[in-house]
Amino acid sequence: MTVTVGTSAPRSDGDAKVSGAAVFGVDFSLPGMVYAQLLRSPVAAGRLMSIATGTAVSMDGVHAVVTAAEVPNERTGIVLFDMPLFATDYITYEGEPLAAVVAETPEIAKAALGAIEFEIEEQEPVATPEQALAPGARLVHPGWATFATMGNLEWPRDGNIVSETVADPGDVDAVFETADLVVEDVYGAPRQYQAYLEPKMALATYEAGRFTIHVSHQFPFNVRDRVAQTLGVPKSAVRVIGHHIGGAFGAKLDLGLEAYAAFLARRTGRPVKMVNTRQEDLLTAPCRENAVVKIRSAVDSAGKILALDVDVVFDSGAYAIDAPYLTSIPMFVFGSVYRVGTARVATRAVYTNTAPTGAFRGVSGTYLVFALERHMDHIANELGVNRRDYRLQALMDDGDEMLNGQILSDASILREAFEVLEERAPWAELGKDPLCGVGMAAAVWLTNPAPGQATVKLNEDGTLGVITAATDNGSGAVTMGVRQIAAEGLGLSADQVVVTMPDTDTAGYDAGSQGSRTTHVVGRAAFEATAEVKNSVLKTAATMLEAAEEDLVVEHGEVHVTGDRSSRVTLAEVAATAMFTEGPIAATGSYTTPIPAFNPTCATGMLLPTWPTPTYHLHIAEVEVDPVTGNVIVLRYLVAQEVGKTINPQGVAGQIQGGVAQGLGYALWERLDIEGGKYVQRSLETYGLPLAVDVPDVEAVLLQHEASAGPYGAKGVAEPPIVPVAGAIANAVADAIGRPIDKIPITPEAVLDALEG
Amino acid sequence: MQFHRAQTLDEALDLLGELGDDALVLAGGTDAVIQYLAGEIAPEAFVHIEGIEDLTTVSLNHRTTLGPLVTHRVLATDEVIGAVHPALAASARTVGGWQTQAVGTIGGNICNASPAADTVPPLLVADAYVTLASRRGRRRLALMDFFLDRRQTVMDPDEMLTAIDLDPLPRGSGEVYLKVGRRGAMEVALVGMAVRIGFAADGTVDSARIALCSVAPTPRRVPDAEKALIGSRLDGGVFDAAGEALRAAACPIDDARASASYRRRTLGGLLERAAIQCREAVTS
Ligand SMILES: Cc1cc2nc3c(=O)[nH]c(=O)nc-3n(C[C@H](O)[C@H](O)[C@H](O)COP(=O)(O)OP(=O)(O)OC[C@H]3O[C@@H](n4cnc5c(N)ncnc54)[C@H](O)[C@@H]3O)c2cc1C
Repeated sequence: MTVTVGTSAPRSDGDAKVSGAAVFGVDFSLPGMVYAQLLRSPVAAGRLMSIATGTAVSMDGVHAVVTAAEVPNERTGIVLFDMPLFATDYITYEGEPLAAVVAETPEIAKAALGAIEFEIEEQEPVATPEQALAPGARLVHPGWATFATMGNLEWPRDGNIVSETVADPGDVDAVFETADLVVEDVYGAPRQYQAYLEPKMALATYEAGRFTIHVSHQFPFNVRDRVAQTLGVPKSAVRVIGHHIGGAFGAKLDLGLEAYAAFLARRTGRPVKMVNTRQEDLLTAPCRENAVVKIRSAVDSAGKILALDVDVVFDSGAYAIDAPYLTSIPMFVFGSVYRVGTARVATRAVYTNTAPTGAFRGVSGTYLVFALERHMDHIANELGVNRRDYRLQALMDDGDEMLNGQILSDASILREAFEVLEERAPWAELGKDPLCGVGMAAAVWLTNPAPGQATVKLNEDGTLGVITAATDNGSGAVTMGVRQIAAEGLGLSADQVVVTMPDTDTAGYDAGSQGSRTTHVVGRAAFEATAEVKNSVLKTAATMLEAAEEDLVVEHGEVHVTGDRSSRVTLAEVAATAMFTEGPIAATGSYTTPIPAFNPTCATGMLLPTWPTPTYHLHIAEVEVDPVTGNVIVLRYLVAQEVGKTINPQGVAGQIQGGVAQGLGYALWERLDIEGGKYVQRSLETYGLPLAVDVPDVEAVLLQHEASAGPYGAKGVAEPPIVPVAGAIANAVADAIGRPIDKIPITPEAVLDALEG
Repeated sequence: MQFHRAQTLDEALDLLGELGDDALVLAGGTDAVIQYLAGEIAPEAFVHIEGIEDLTTVSLNHRTTLGPLVTHRVLATDEVIGAVHPALAASARTVGGWQTQAVGTIGGNICNASPAADTVPPLLVADAYVTLASRRGRRRLALMDFFLDRRQTVMDPDEMLTAIDLDPLPRGSGEVYLKVGRRGAMEVALVGMAVRIGFAADGTVDSARIALCSVAPTPRRVPDAEKALIGSRLDGGVFDAAGEALRAAACPIDDARASASYRRRTLGGLLERAAIQCREAVTS
């Protein structure tokens, strides 16, 4: 029996966030602070012919103006070193930094930006991946071949192709020759802006040879490493302190403004604060990548898929960021849900003269699942069979192998998901009214395995302190998850545990809030540390109570002898006693998910070779289409999600509701069109985030299989609820109108076009 | 920038008389402040009128008179107003979100002269008139004649909108406002359509008024479409003819929200939906 784990304990930052007391990064300030702003390129592509800062520098209240010439401007990156701080001779996207101003006030900084004189010879932008791949296309980075990589890692890349991953077993074409039916589709997906409430910020100081950077960032240790790399200083010269994060969704994993603020703090000797305007943020955030997915299946007369041939091209924008990792993802998505026979999956990430794309909750999975699940509907319709039955016969089973050779030992959980939703909402009864439709989409998603650490100490009042650099990006992974896990270890309630905010000087390494890893990985580290603390407690208490350790029980903030609650000491007394006998009680736990076995020769360019700690998902959507406006109304939305173990039911429900809302935005409303390398929608007003009035209450059924290595069996929860949404919605809309939907977002115009055939 | 707070209409008119060209009236500020911060307008002074109690009144007689400071929230939720001006109430419910409705005023919606002002089509089908006042005097004119172009009106710099008067919905008539937007709130209308139809006892249409926003620089009535409905029983090919007239009257733009062709192609279906809802409102 657990006392805290499994309950909806309130999050520790809840009151402060609701009352407005919480200090987010943008709210944080220091005495003597000055303000920096970036001059950003107004064009998508061009040659920077000249830049003159004299007038700006001489303005009252201006502390410094710097350009590429005055900063360490080596190209850096997380895996491909292609990005300088400032454009030097050529400009690669609208919004690329050209110079920075530091001034006494934001107003002066803005005025000084306007006083910088520069001349750009505009070029025709390489605006789309198609243009970038065309024969004779201009190279976005003429010097691409000279770019260094992390650890001299190599992978296939060429000209405008940032990275290519190809899984090709060699027999695919031959199998297609034998097919009774070949089904072929092309799907398109747009960019998606993370659209967090708090724009990117950084506040840096430089004292005694060290940088301190205040951030609201998902991955403080990456800020440390990347600032050190960018400025050419040791990692130990950079300290990163995390504050409350006003949303991130993947956009705050790599550097934003931090290196600029750090450099300018050293340059001016003052604390330097930078905050993006909303428009800067929208124009330069590492949005989810736009992509085109071509998919072809060879099907036999019984409807079985014999072979799959997939070609994915996605837009990396002007720089790589994490694209070389993302090119591995299609081979997992296309080979983890349904038996697809032999499969060739080729993926290319391509440079264009647009803002660099990057991580967004459910990286690449949103449009890959959309493509796969639309395609499954297409095959079923082509065969004239029930779409649900068609999926059921194709589902993978326990022990089946993914395309990377990794064994899915618990794949049958997905079949269970089909069953529980069938009980809740029978498929045959949904979407029956005129212009209504139903769609489903399934997914298998990973839990990010990267390392984390937690130190747990017993305070002298019998409460626990947890020191970790794990960040709570708003999901509750720390303020509920890690906290409840530590509390559970000593039978305490969650409010008897205080978890620190991240600080790279005081806490051990943490790989950031990404890929639903925090509860699983850091929770496991906290679980182990707390177990060790408990051992120390028992040891000290045994001496105090003159009893054997194995006869002791820790509960309700005290230790007592089994069956005899009169013989007891409080945790506070234990902590105080230990202080002068064994020394203060504390322990550190570390964890990183062991990498599953896989076949290293299954693909070329596979920088992300495995899909650790998989979780299973089924989404069903019921929609209605308005034939006059083409609008789609979501009538009902159901989710079955495998979570391992629910640590906090309210937290899980919130993540599922939020993930689905974000997925609905992606599928139906959010819009980021690109014309001539520039975004057409340039504010949240036209961008079109989902609204509470349009998002139904999501009905979620949680499946718990407590077998994982996570704390109490918990697996990753928060990232995947966005992944299947576009697929389920597109299938439902296609069902409602009796015509295919091949592109997201599903605009009213596209619906009317499809209706009119 | 100067900021003047007027407590009475006289004070406001004095200030406008003195400051003239340099001043701008500020009501709820949900348009003006955003335009100011975006650098689209740069008045030297704001004359804040939100505190003038006399301009918040509603009087319901054979004509309804609304003070310019009546908020969208009042229009949206007041049951008495809603009973005689259902289309106006419906349009107010579509303005932004609750926050915008609580602060934004009908006077601001009119005077801002946006092509997408939601309350204007319902006012046009209710034959609304506006009263403008200045130190020089007062004038009353048809709302139809108030708009010159996008964000341009006949109002002089020292003038202020002080009242709007309009016809309540007569017995035997129905009216609706339909707004096309991708989401259920916070949308600038892609198309807005107000329709008021009067039916004879046998169900024939004996009067029809149709007004549109977001399809032209200013909101407008569409007399040809109205004529197409009159005398019909909303059957046969009337909606083809009326839809054709609507499309002919519309000159929408392509923008980041929707294409011109999309706006145009919704018009026929919207009118049919609106007309049928008008009939249902009368018969129910
Ligand atoms: C988030 C958001 C969403 C919105 N959504 C919608 C929407 O869906 N539909 C819609 O139609 N509008 C929308 N608007 C615009 C705005 O809310 C409305 O137009 C509102 O009615 C304006 O009223 P206000 O009192 O705030 O006007 P203000 O901003 O105070 O004034 C607007 C203009 O009218 C002038 N003015 C105001 N009152 C008078 C007067 N009595 N005499 C002379 N001039 C006057 C001002 O000088 C100014 O030029 C939205 C705005 C926001 C911020």
